[in-house]
Amino acid sequence: MTLTSRPFVAIFAALALIVLYLNLPDRDALGRSLPVSLLLGGAFGLVLQRSRFCFWCISRDWFADRDPRGLLGILAALAVGIIGYAAIFGVWLPNPASGRLPPDAHIGPVSITMIAGSFVFGIGMALSGSCISAHFYRLGEGAFGSVIALLGAFIGFGLGFLSWNTLYVLDIYRAKVIWLPTYLGHGGALLVSLGLLGVAALWLLCQPMPAQPEDHRFVLARRWPAVVGGILVGWIAMIAYFRVGPLGVTAELGSLARTSADAVGWLPQTLHGLDSFAGCATVVKEALFSRNGVFVIGMVLASAVSATLAGDWKPAPPAIRTLPRLFIGGLMLGWGAMVALGCTVGVLLSGIMAGALSGWVFLVACFAGAWIGWHLRGK
Amino acid sequence: MGKALLKLVSTVGVIAMTAGAALASDGPLVTTEWLEENLDNPEVRLIEVSVNPGVYERGHIPGATNFVWHTDLVDPIRRDIASKEQLQDLLRQAGVDDGSTVILYGDTNNWFAAWGAWVLDVYGVENVKLLDGGRVLWEAEGRQVSTTPQEQEPGDITLAEADPALRARIGDVVQASEDGSSAIVDIRSADEYSGKVIAPEGFKETAIRAGHVTNAVNVPWSQAVQEDGRFKSPEELKELYAAAGIDGSKPVITYCRIGERSSHTWFALSKILGYDVKNYDGSWTEYGNAVGVPVTNLAGTVWTGQ
Repeated sequence: MTLTSRPFVAIFAALALIVLYLNLPDRDALGRSLPVSLLLGGAFGLVLQRSRFCFWCISRDWFADRDPRGLLGILAALAVGIIGYAAIFGVWLPNPASGRLPPDAHIGPVSITMIAGSFVFGIGMALSGSCISAHFYRLGEGAFGSVIALLGAFIGFGLGFLSWNTLYVLDIYRAKVIWLPTYLGHGGALLVSLGLLGVAALWLLCQPMPAQPEDHRFVLARRWPAVVGGILVGWIAMIAYFRVGPLGVTAELGSLARTSADAVGWLPQTLHGLDSFAGCATVVKEALFSRNGVFVIGMVLASAVSATLAGDWKPAPPAIRTLPRLFIGGLMLGWGAMVALGCTVGVLLSGIMAGALSGWVFLVACFAGAWIGWHLRGK
Repeated sequence: MGKALLKLVSTVGVIAMTAGAALASDGPLVTTEWLEENLDNPEVRLIEVSVNPGVYERGHIPGATNFVWHTDLVDPIRRDIASKEQLQDLLRQAGVDDGSTVILYGDTNNWFAAWGAWVLDVYGVENVKLLDGGRVLWEAEGRQVSTTPQEQEPGDITLAEADPALRARIGDVVQASEDGSSAIVDIRSADEYSGKVIAPEGFKETAIRAGHVTNAVNVPWSQAVQEDGRFKSPEELKELYAAAGIDGSKPVITYCRIGERSSHTWFALSKILGYDVKNYDGSWTEYGNAVGVPVTNLAGTVWTGQ
């Protein structure tokens, strides 16, 4: 039995998914379905793996080759998600100016700290070679480097918690939570968001499209076009919000970091205001299975099934000299995601879809960070 | 003649059926079966009071209106129950008329729904009932839920002034503790009552003394319900509270940490057993912080600010 024994890995991952599905408690403490969360995580992992929906790869394709395909995939995901969220919001909160926010939606505070966190996250993405969601799906491709990066992110989260109270009293306390429909109405917010995406998409489509090498593999083994991946991500995001909660991949990682740091007494007794903000909420863990935990497990396992069947399972230990870069990149991912209350999935995707200003701010700051990181890595 | 007889029979039948439906809802509780049959009954107004966000939106009993406990049923600025105007507006928006039957239900064992029933009682709203078992039982029985709120025709209910007789203030509790004029029921867990812990797991302390109101008896709220979340039978409830010395022979005061779980016991004692009961909504977060009030701390836990 070797690590490259593909059928074994695929069967193992598929069996693990099934066993977990059959043994999960029906609901979490808030009454959300855990099995549904696992299935959605599986779907998300499958789509990310198949369409290579990785924010860093997409950014680098643009920086290095001016290839807009991946960026168009992100725009497609956002457009579908925005429409889906708007359809749900219209029913759940018909009057967006009531002063209430839609339940659970990742509408976070916009602060200097949050901008800094998003920017640092972007650099971390470049250094570690992926954002957090892509590190998770890469685990399913046998990328051991991602283990180092995720370990860094875990510790980065701890550093985030340690710096939180200072940042809170200096800056975050005055942050504004801005939900576009409060000011523009449901229709107005939809129009403005889709308009921005449309302009960006048109501009990208007008750029010369670099030729793509033809993929001669068996049809099922080929990668899916990024736009197809994006549309599916948008659908998964909408269904997840409706049934379980907004997409996010860092809540469990952050909760594990918070629980561990808390258990060894490193954290202050109180993290000011943290639990009152909407986002990838980190809590001190009380139950073994959380909806975000099973979502991430579903993601990794489904990605493993998909990768092994398609021949993308390529386990390779990272070169020793890359370890510091992976680890430091991971630290930056963790710290950034903690102080920004989420990552490219929880804040960028789920925030923009929900009409949160914080989502758009994350998009700009993170992309800027990725660009700097790309230069830091010597392109 | 035949026609007249037929008419008479059908009229009697309709009266009997109407009476049957009314009878089934005569008590302070309605069953899930009764509610399902009366979802389209224009006399019935259904209100969900859940405390967890997104619970109502992701599936509520069809036709229910959502009340948010943290902002709708309390004054969000000063610590108090919702004002008469605030509550009257809300109830009118929910389509409640003076003659409506209001059914409340919610998550977490109907605690917050029971708070709603108590606040409505304070403002003199009649025909307020709880769905026995709350949303947990409704879901467990696989009954239909909806994700689309229904707009209601505005109602015309007029609230009375708040009746202080249903609400205990800290002075009433101190007096009852000292002279025994009212029985006091602490419905928190045995560990909170004894002073081993100041707040249940997962909650911040929010009180700087441990223990309970001197002379209060401890009957945790959960002892009043069956496994499926429905209240025990009136006979069982009577026995349960009598065993703790609460038999309705003198007025009762219920309290907990913030006053919502004690609303649940208030409901059992006042609405199901018909005792004279006040809910102390200040509860331990007020009493355990008050200066110079009689406290019994069996465990002797000393608050050290840690």
